[in-house]
Amino acid sequence: MTSIGTGYDLANSIFSPDGRNFQVEYAVKAVENGGTSIGIRCKDGVVLAVEKIVTSKLLKPGANKRIATVDRHLGVVYSGMVPDGRHFVDRARDESRSWRDTFKTPIPTADLANRMGSYLQAYTLYQSVRPFGITAIVGGFDSELELPVDGEVGSGPSCGAGGKDTSKKHGGPFLYMIEPSGLYWGYYGAATGKGRQAAKAELEKLDLSGEGISLEEAVKEAARIIYVAHDDSKDKEFELEMSWISGADGPTKGKHQEVPKALREEAERLARKAVADEDSDEEEEAKEGEKMEE
Amino acid sequence: MDHRPQAWGRPRDDIYGAYDGSYLQNSGPKQATQSPVVTGTSVIAIKFADGVVMAADNLASYGSLARFTDVKRLRTFHDNTVIGFGGDVSDMQYLDRLIGEIDIDQEYELEQLPDREAQKSVELMQASNLFTFLRRQMYHQRNEFNPLWNQILVAGFDDEHKPFLASVDLRGTSFTSPSLATGFGAALAQPIMRKYAATDEDAARLTRDQAVDVIKECMKVLFYRDARSLDRYSIAVVTKEGIDLKENEQLEKQSWAFAERIKGYGTQTV
Amino acid sequence: MFRNNYDNDSVTFSPQGRIFQVEYAAEAVKQGSVVVGIASKTHAVLVAIKRNAEELSSYQKKLFPIDEHTGIAIAGLTSDARVLSNFMKQQCLGHRLTYGRNMPIRNLVEQIGSKAQNNTQHYGKRPYGVGLLIAGVDNTGPHLFEFQPSGMTEEMQAFAIGARSQMARTYLERHLDAFQDSSREELITHGLRALKESLVQDRELTVDNTSVGVVGFIKEGEASYKVDPFKVYDGQEVSVFLEKVSDSAEGGAAPAAGGEAEGEGMEVDS
Repeated sequence: MTSIGTGYDLANSIFSPDGRNFQVEYAVKAVENGGTSIGIRCKDGVVLAVEKIVTSKLLKPGANKRIATVDRHLGVVYSGMVPDGRHFVDRARDESRSWRDTFKTPIPTADLANRMGSYLQAYTLYQSVRPFGITAIVGGFDSELELPVDGEVGSGPSCGAGGKDTSKKHGGPFLYMIEPSGLYWGYYGAATGKGRQAAKAELEKLDLSGEGISLEEAVKEAARIIYVAHDDSKDKEFELEMSWISGADGPTKGKHQEVPKALREEAERLARKAVADEDSDEEEEAKEGEKMEE
Repeated sequence: MDHRPQAWGRPRDDIYGAYDGSYLQNSGPKQATQSPVVTGTSVIAIKFADGVVMAADNLASYGSLARFTDVKRLRTFHDNTVIGFGGDVSDMQYLDRLIGEIDIDQEYELEQLPDREAQKSVELMQASNLFTFLRRQMYHQRNEFNPLWNQILVAGFDDEHKPFLASVDLRGTSFTSPSLATGFGAALAQPIMRKYAATDEDAARLTRDQAVDVIKECMKVLFYRDARSLDRYSIAVVTKEGIDLKENEQLEKQSWAFAERIKGYGTQTV
Repeated sequence: MFRNNYDNDSVTFSPQGRIFQVEYAAEAVKQGSVVVGIASKTHAVLVAIKRNAEELSSYQKKLFPIDEHTGIAIAGLTSDARVLSNFMKQQCLGHRLTYGRNMPIRNLVEQIGSKAQNNTQHYGKRPYGVGLLIAGVDNTGPHLFEFQPSGMTEEMQAFAIGARSQMARTYLERHLDAFQDSSREELITHGLRALKESLVQDRELTVDNTSVGVVGFIKEGEASYKVDPFKVYDGQEVSVFLEKVSDSAEGGAAPAAGGEAEGEGMEVDS
């Protein structure tokens, strides 16, 4: 941070002599202070998960959701400044709605990521605004089936349109991560927030880009990764929130939904066990530690 | 011959006369929709003890032409509301998309609840709430002098979980009744339905099967006498358990024997 | 000399990723007198200490009804609160007009959250200098929300904001388990006791400086509900509530939940 104090970091959209926009980099710092979020793209769907730090006992447990549905098949989770995240979600919902207005069809995940990337980028262009203090993970399942157009009420002529290449595969699970700069990439496994380093290390151990893992495995892995990435020494308590999206023949029938309580609790139980086992392994290398605490 | 580029591809003035572009000028008042184009005919509905039955045929006419024969004019909302559309089909599609947006809004609301079990038990937006929305929408559009050319029936339940049935038309006029019908049905089916359910008390004594039978009977009468109708129709029964929607029903036991006795018009010479 | 260059406006991040202007706005909330909110399964209550500028002046309002089913308590700049309160009233009315139902509380709260967030992202705007507690009921039951100048909104079981509110929060945390099943009166009593914890030495709750607001949720059958409308109690109306928490009353029989260290042991003013 050589240019700190030389005035190039005092306003958004200003380049420093070495070509950096410091305000965007500072926005990234805000992200790095937020609870860990991850996304996993697996064979038959997408899982999103977030570590919600419990800042007060007085908060209503389970009530303050951080993963948001954007359209029926699309979910968003984010790390960083929560009100900025709400702004992001509001905008994403507007985008998907306006897409529907124009094309009468759900917005593909890639297009939403593209539009939101452009939106965040616009907040790096002017001195009159500040960048978003969040990194968002967008997960979606674009339908593999031919969907009815919005407002469709009948089948029309019984002969087909013809010329359609039926061998082409359409849709599937997609995952994108959008940074404060507006930069976004597609991912098999994405992580951001406080515990992103640990989370990324764990995600890389999974075979996501090759054979892939199943949706149920991904739910369990996501829970475990959030538990691994959680730093006990800094924050005591946290809530785990998870959502998933499967294809039309999967458990969520193409919709973005919260992971059912029973499955989440089972995943958390396994996650706690895995973390406890790991800890005891580290403590006493040689011994087969049967220390089960919590 | 005129070889200037602006004359390329145009009929020659010396043969056809100068082009009359007057129709491009929009002088006079702005005009919005003056009449529906592709239309659906009657929608009929009647309340019974535990819900409401609604039906509409699957025809969309273009004037007197039976243009589309598998158009579904009963739409559902949230597994607790049925909406039946008479009138312009494209306006119905627009409204259907609007309702789709509200459906997504409801999903945003639901996901805030602690878990999926809680989501199942919560009171969703009811037919009465959706009807309020449609009524405002229709009245708003007519105030813009750009009405949505429909008459709409909404069936489901109200805030107090009693059977709900109401109607709103292109003028924003709305009312409720134990039985309702739009279009030709208002003249042909309404008297039949009233025989069975003149009041809410009567309707509360009807069983589901009785109500379905009344509706089927009415659909038959409508097919006999309404020249813009079809014998393929959709029928929906909404109860607290949800919606039972059948979209490809065929009128049963038709008898055209009465037709022979009709005299006085048509091609008959006697 | 140290000078913080990063705190001049709300569109500048500090190198640590903080926005000082927003943090300073949060300080304004702590300048306001304390307000407490608690929610149970059936009710949501707000209680507040009102300040007067001088002996002979009137007391500053702290509780504002928004709609039949919701109301707010404020701490910080009253004029900013009025802007938000007017906005909330309009939203509730608009929702009632289009859908014929109570606006869901979270919806309402998120709207002011978005409004406030917008003020932290654009040059020339400033964050709101007020914190709110929002109590209300909707189809999912009673709710209590906290709103911060940053645009952060969170649903709480109980909370307190404003000057010296930490003491009130400590009280609330200690009695958290009792709130869920508390009756309307018990909830108010808890609120007033929490309020007392935050009082400056030698000050006490009086009919002049105390406000109480309550809204109730009456479950009717499977999924329908009725609202016991948000009502604010001021002046002599609060005396019945105050009697229950007067030092003499507490000294004798401390009611229901955990009676440790109440009445006596007021904190020293800082």
